[in-house]
Amino acid sequence: MATEFHNLQELRHSASLATKVFIQRDYRDSTICKFQTKFPAELDSRIERSLFEETLKTLNCYYAEAEKIGGQSYLEGCLACATAYIIFLCMETRYEKILKKISMYIQEQNEKIYAPRGLLLTDPIERGMRVIEISIFEDSGSTSSSSSGSSPSSSTAQ
Amino acid sequence: MPNSVGKRFKPTKYIPVSTAATLLVGSTTLFFVFTCPWLTKAISPAVPLYNGIVFLFVLANFSMATFMDPGVFPRADEDEDKDDDFRAPLYKNVEIKGIQVRMKWCATCHFYRPPRCSHCSVCDNCVEEFDHHCPWVNNCIGRRNYRYFFLFLLSLSVHMMGVFSFGLLFILHHLERLSALHTTVTLVVMCVTGLFFIPVMGLTGFHMVLVARGRTTNEQVTGKFRGGVNPFTRGCCGNVKHVLCSPLAPRYISDPKKKLPITLKPPFLRPDLSNRHVSVKVSDNGIHSSILRSKSKTSLDGVDDKSIDTQPPLPPKADRYNQLKSQLTSSEGKGHDYRSEPNLDMPDYRSTPLHRTYQSSPFQLDSFSTTSRSFSLKQGVNGADQMPLGGSKPETVTSTPHKGVFSPGTLSGRNGSLSYDSLLTPSVTLSVGECAAHPGVPSMGFHSPYLPTKMCHVRGPELQRHIGPPSYSPVHVGAMYGRQSPLSRDRDPSPVRYDNLSKTIMASIQERKELEEREKLMHRHAQAYANDSGVFDTCSGAAYGLPPGPRGPGSREPTPPVCGSRDNLMGVGVVGYAPRTPVLRSSASSLSRAPRTSTTSLHTDAGGVSRTAERQYRSPVRQTHHSPTAVPRSPTYTHQKVAFISALERADSPHLGTRYDT
Repeated sequence: MATEFHNLQELRHSASLATKVFIQRDYRDSTICKFQTKFPAELDSRIERSLFEETLKTLNCYYAEAEKIGGQSYLEGCLACATAYIIFLCMETRYEKILKKISMYIQEQNEKIYAPRGLLLTDPIERGMRVIEISIFEDSGSTSSSSSGSSPSSSTAQ
Repeated sequence: MPNSVGKRFKPTKYIPVSTAATLLVGSTTLFFVFTCPWLTKAISPAVPLYNGIVFLFVLANFSMATFMDPGVFPRADEDEDKDDDFRAPLYKNVEIKGIQVRMKWCATCHFYRPPRCSHCSVCDNCVEEFDHHCPWVNNCIGRRNYRYFFLFLLSLSVHMMGVFSFGLLFILHHLERLSALHTTVTLVVMCVTGLFFIPVMGLTGFHMVLVARGRTTNEQVTGKFRGGVNPFTRGCCGNVKHVLCSPLAPRYISDPKKKLPITLKPPFLRPDLSNRHVSVKVSDNGIHSSILRSKSKTSLDGVDDKSIDTQPPLPPKADRYNQLKSQLTSSEGKGHDYRSEPNLDMPDYRSTPLHRTYQSSPFQLDSFSTTSRSFSLKQGVNGADQMPLGGSKPETVTSTPHKGVFSPGTLSGRNGSLSYDSLLTPSVTLSVGECAAHPGVPSMGFHSPYLPTKMCHVRGPELQRHIGPPSYSPVHVGAMYGRQSPLSRDRDPSPVRYDNLSKTIMASIQERKELEEREKLMHRHAQAYANDSGVFDTCSGAAYGLPPGPRGPGSREPTPPVCGSRDNLMGVGVVGYAPRTPVLRSSASSLSRAPRTSTTSLHTDAGGVSRTAERQYRSPVRQTHHSPTAVPRSPTYTHQKVAFISALERADSPHLGTRYDT
């Protein structure tokens, strides 16, 4: 019986990776980190345009803030210089902090918006900040576990 | 040293860096040991301090330049380059600040190199903002470590200048003791410094110019922006700021971090697709009606063909139906129970107005027929009142789904009975929701009084497409009958399955079956219609062979047994026009309310006939007198099609019974 219950739990719809969409970098403003906000056609039936664009815009803002040359980055450089860069061993840079924020944001977006729609955003840092990879999953239908004991339970579940 | 499979250990590549490191550290150490003590005494303790700091700075930057990731791009995943590998062009153009820049495909890394990126053959990596590969640090100089390299050069230049100067000072003060140890060492240090002074200073100067221009060594050496504009420049100050003050760029090749797993649980949400269905529906309406209309007038001979011809348009419609169906299935989570119902159900209803189905019949109904329809319908309904025999059941069946299918307005038609007008224009009143709201009560239930179940079987795919509407119309019944014969040979297995039908349907089917059996027996002895309608004569032999009998003095030749319904159909239709027999009169009276405005239009007649036929079909259910059978045909009723179809119907009548059995 325990086996059956276990199998019943496995008798659920499973998602399989269907395709991937790549959002390329927008190089119009030189090499600053910015991604194209053009809505890919493959996502047309999967997610609302507004949600996608919101995500992209927020990411672009994060990256723009990370790469901003200002007082904070200058001080950081001077401090690093003064300490013979030993400071890098103790403290994380501003860019790294923002990258962590971005990572958390992407995680949150995935959990709240994209995963319920069968999509998955990949942090662009894993791809060298060249693309944002969006994995599109399809519902591959209910699966039954492979064990033989599952067949009676699978029929009841279905 | 072990040689790894992936990368061969090349000791030679470490020679320059080792040399540079040795020279730097060694020389400076010697300087500090042999020169600085005298300098401290002779000039100031600040000298070694200063040199110490500078040397520290040099070392730090040297270390950073040597060990820091320059901005290596990780190799692209297979998924990313799937489309790019075989058919992709070598270059991709991208516009940067209005200037076209070429991005080259990197065969090793499997992506188009971002602007300013280059592949280092020594490191075998694509490096972001690639400057050059420096052998003295044994590392690429790229976006991340260019600043440190530049500072290393600056600081090394400063350090070398310092060492050389202070060494010279020492020598000048110890000229008399040149062979002394301290002096010799200082002299050697000065030579080394002097030797490397030119290249280092030269390189420093070179990079200072590059920084000011906002170019990389790679771009400068390859002459990319020789004649043109550099799109990457930010102005002199901006470029300097960018090199010295920009934040440290992130590492791309990092240890895989442990991320929180995200579970994907189907079913997935989808954006609202409702608008698409509307558009499908609209196009479907427009196209289909025109196709069917064209089939309206046909010759008698052509009727057979036409009835077959009406099928070709069906597949497109079926496709639309299926498309609509699939869209609905995918998007609507509503109960799709009605889909398992026989064809006559909602999806069809949604997609096709009743009109269309009527038109698809060879009877070519148009608006005029409406009145006769309502006429006949009313008769049936009224008849139900009179003849509760079995009638109540279908009536209840009909009424209930009506609520779901039709707006209440339709129910309270002109005279409190179902109005065909409203039936004909259900598109406004009906809605998907309504349709779906009664999945358990299929329209079949409503249709049953009008539509013999076997029709569902016979028409099969046809029926599936046209079902909703045809069932409402007795005309369509006629049409179906008509079509039946040519189709009888090749009957497709109907999508309507008896096992799908609800109990009400089954009950009405049973009733109908019984009725038909009864009528068959009766009409066998009935006379044929007494008609002057040469139409019937011209029909095939089996044409109006309305069996003589209670139908009155039909002078027809005995005809094959006709389905009572046909007779009824004829009878009633004729009644509508010219009640000639007492029998008819009785039925006529019941039809009195119906406007006898059924005009002389052939179509109308046809419609009326066919409709009344259906009514007639029902009437035996409800009325004790199967009298209308003897109704003489209206002289105006010359519609050949009708006749032919009637004949066909009759011809098929024997099959009706058998059909049920199957």
